[in-house]
Amino acid sequence: MTADRHPWEMPISESELTSATRDLDEAHRETLPLMFARAHDLSEELTETAPRDPATTSARRVFLMGAGGAVVTFALAACGSRARFVSATDTESPSESGSPSESESATASPSASAGAYTGELKGVALSAALENQAVNAYQSALSAANAGKLGTVPPAVSTFMKTAMGQHADHAKAWNSALQNAGKQPITGIPLTSQQSVAAALGKVTSVDEAARLALKLEDQATQTYLAAVSTATDKRGIDMAASIAPVEAMHAAILNFILGENLVPNAFISTDMAAKPSDLTV
Amino acid sequence: MSRDDVDVRLLKELTEQSQDLNSDAVRITREALERFTEEAAATQRRSRWSRTGVVGVLTGAGTLFGAGRAAASSDDVMALQTAASIENLAVSTYQTAAGLPFIQQGNKTVAEFIAKTTEQHREHAKAFNSAVTQAGGKPQNAADPKYDAVVKKAMPGLKTPADVVKLAISLEDVAAETYTKNVGQVSNAQLRRLFGSVAPVEAQHRAVLLTVQSLLADGKADLIASPTQPDKLPATVGSVGIPDTFYPTKNASPVNEGAVK
Repeated sequence: MTADRHPWEMPISESELTSATRDLDEAHRETLPLMFARAHDLSEELTETAPRDPATTSARRVFLMGAGGAVVTFALAACGSRARFVSATDTESPSESGSPSESESATASPSASAGAYTGELKGVALSAALENQAVNAYQSALSAANAGKLGTVPPAVSTFMKTAMGQHADHAKAWNSALQNAGKQPITGIPLTSQQSVAAALGKVTSVDEAARLALKLEDQATQTYLAAVSTATDKRGIDMAASIAPVEAMHAAILNFILGENLVPNAFISTDMAAKPSDLTV
Repeated sequence: MSRDDVDVRLLKELTEQSQDLNSDAVRITREALERFTEEAAATQRRSRWSRTGVVGVLTGAGTLFGAGRAAASSDDVMALQTAASIENLAVSTYQTAAGLPFIQQGNKTVAEFIAKTTEQHREHAKAFNSAVTQAGGKPQNAADPKYDAVVKKAMPGLKTPADVVKLAISLEDVAAETYTKNVGQVSNAQLRRLFGSVAPVEAQHRAVLLTVQSLLADGKADLIASPTQPDKLPATVGSVGIPDTFYPTKNASPVNEGAVK
């Protein structure tokens, strides 16, 4: 039981609560070295098991294989005064759909080349890219908020965005650590087929509500991608890492649901319908 | 069309979307269990052949082929039974809490959350016990013994909603930590998917409860509402519900803690 981590018996002030929260955050950040160590172990395992011939890569070894559902892309659709996201099957590769968007090309890793990530390392790279996408989305929303483009931003929303963004950055760092230790380039950009539509949606956001709904979709996709990963991966350390991140993304979603006034915990089980697939990775 | 009309339409649409998503999730979990059942049955058939000695050599090959794929180990069965025991305890604890006068007559959103969460834990228990049965084990209908004692000790001291929330946070954390660890412990993909689909839900329960706890501590119970008033929420609400960058497992229950004896 961990009840002693959250003392609350006596009402305390907000400043005291903030301080306590900071302590908690610091305490949990103590787990980071452990996770990076796991990332190092993971990279060693992946290097040892990496197929020498990419053409013979077995599906059994593919980490983070999606559930086989439709690739989810995001589009902002008007729905009265509010906005919602709709999913669509995205069968177009960047080359088929034209030139990459400015945001995509600006954030793609310059050192990454086609086919650079194979086997389970492709799943690791996909994870890093998804985390980068989330960081970028929150950063863009915060920039828009600072520029006054979202109207009045409640302090709780601002705090949430900063906290979630920091956690996503740590997740990306962990996955990239595994890639680097395996001799691969880290994913510093967002080489994902969905990024063009996500960037477009971000550009159209004009309210906190819309920004939160976009973030909710990204959090749900991340959670589901990690669930798909633990179902298909074979490396225990990769499974452990994905398993330890999925609940955190789900918690982000719960807070967003609270802020948005949505069903707080809408589902008894997490699905994988929105999970990203290795083929969503463009490097 | 009045604003009320629009809101009702939106509410209906969102409710339908939510129900669709939940149905999808339940369907996927059921499919995982069905796959597990099929493969467990195949393993049992191989095992029966082995016992009869009719096709001993072939059985050896078959068991080897099935190892680590569908066959549930004794640790798998115990982990599922322990998970069911944690869920059983959560259900009974929330049910008791729901009957307390300060919950019944208190914050409506808290009461609704307790009711919904109870139902979700009941579904989890059912799923875990279904997997236990399909793996050839006995379903666990009792509560986790370690935490049952903790709950029994805490019950007389539940005098306020905050007391209930604190106890619930502990139970949800144990569940989330245990299942997060179980994902890497069980022996086949179907069970990893089952534990992996439940752990984030328990973490979400905890996130909500941590937020409720902070609002209660701050004397802002009126903001525990759906929808809430985001502009009035203290800044801490943005972080207090998401304290972990990586979900910890140091308090995870051992796989045999709630196993059927």
